[in-house]
Amino acid sequence: MKIAPPQVWRNKRFMYKLIASKCEKCGNISFPYSPYCAKCGSKNVKKIETSGKGRLISYTVSYQSRDGYEKGLPNVVGLIKLDEGVEIVAPIVDVDLDKLQEGARVEATLRRVYTDSYNGLIQYGIKFRVAEDENR
Amino acid sequence: MDVYVNSSSMIPIDRYYEYDIYDLVIEAYKNLEGEYDVNDIDLVLVANAYSQRLNNTSLIAPKVVEKIGKPNIPSIKVDNADASGGAALFTAYSMIKSGLANSVLVIGVEKQSDFPSKYLYDVVASNLEDYMYYNGITTHSIAALLMKQYMKKYSVGREYFANWAVKMHKNAVENPFAYLRFTVDLNTVINSQVVSDPIRLFDIGARADGAAILLLSNKKVDTSVKIDKIFSTQAKYDFNPSLPSIRMLKERLGIKVNDKTGIEIHDSYSIMAALMLEELGISESGKSLYNLDNINVNLGGGLKARGYAGGASAIYQVAEAHMQLLGSFKGKKASVEEYFVVSSDDLGIVSYGINLTR
Ligand SMILES: [Zn+2]
Repeated sequence: MKIAPPQVWRNKRFMYKLIASKCEKCGNISFPYSPYCAKCGSKNVKKIETSGKGRLISYTVSYQSRDGYEKGLPNVVGLIKLDEGVEIVAPIVDVDLDKLQEGARVEATLRRVYTDSYNGLIQYGIKFRVAEDENR
Repeated sequence: MDVYVNSSSMIPIDRYYEYDIYDLVIEAYKNLEGEYDVNDIDLVLVANAYSQRLNNTSLIAPKVVEKIGKPNIPSIKVDNADASGGAALFTAYSMIKSGLANSVLVIGVEKQSDFPSKYLYDVVASNLEDYMYYNGITTHSIAALLMKQYMKKYSVGREYFANWAVKMHKNAVENPFAYLRFTVDLNTVINSQVVSDPIRLFDIGARADGAAILLLSNKKVDTSVKIDKIFSTQAKYDFNPSLPSIRMLKERLGIKVNDKTGIEIHDSYSIMAALMLEELGISESGKSLYNLDNINVNLGGGLKARGYAGGASAIYQVAEAHMQLLGSFKGKKASVEEYFVVSSDDLGIVSYGINLTR
């Protein structure tokens, strides 16, 4: 896996922060941010930074990795509904598989995503973990 | 002006270590049968999704026409990922319908078996939204989440989805063009390797190499099958779960199914097969995979067992429909008068619906 520094820098908009669009016309929230509403096409869209907190709707445990993502298998991939109302799919970390439950409160955390073995560059990104203190 | 499929051809989907991407086309081209005049071809469209990353080759359309001895016929590569074949057919149909071309050769080709699957699925994951791609997510995991939501919504278990694989493998056994020509039982499917829980190996379309060709024309001949309708739709899946692009196709195509109807769906995953049959209105929601013996669906084994030739998939589907309607298909036959073909990408975002009649 080769990392292009300009790409990493640009990707900060969805890898380091969860910036979403909120449409002032229809109320739709979509992630990642775009100046046009993904639902109604309106350009009356506000940039919002989501809280990074939400609820785990569902998850899958993946035993097959993609090239460059071998570390940390098996991977847990969650379907998360952020408190702002938008659904996203993201990796779940620090998981005790026996205890992971649908409906759990989760929160965003910054983690290493992959490493460029050739140039020694590291890509970080937002993953989610169970927010223990907030549960139930 | 009417548009016809006058000729069709395919090679078995397989791992062809000895062939490169052009050799696959050449093999399919040798088999192109029927009444047609190659000198009449105005345009060649090449449906392909992954040649840049899997085969390190760009500008493949002009390279392909040169290799089949038609170097001066204009050619264009059409790419809409695994729905490329549908996009190419939609384009060819529009060109003929508008009078810009009298006949168009549509070639579907994909060469996916040169690399280990973790690399192949890295390439396929580029279909996902960028934030998912860079986070290492696979399309398998998205399909798994859709499947889990479906299992919850309709209270069905693993064995429900296994019905699809069992049926597809049964169909493929009779098809000389199929990749996985063996039967499987419910237990084999349910106990196969977990890829992304609850998705197991047998829930996934079998990606391999393939090439198929269709000749579309405005001239009716003895081997003609008419393209009555063709539509293109797109909309993101949602985790209800549902496939809005397929629902839109249903409305436009006006699907009515009886025992004289053949159906081809893009079963990249068993969950996709269920959602497609239900969104098309062919089966009752939550029950589509229980009654597969009552419909003529994916008679050649589908992407699951005939094989998943990426962007060439729709060309295989329509080639098979062409042969079925002519009564010349060499696999499991049905006495059909009409065909509905649904071509899609891996996760049903972009879809093409094609209605064919004899
Ligand atoms: Zn809006």
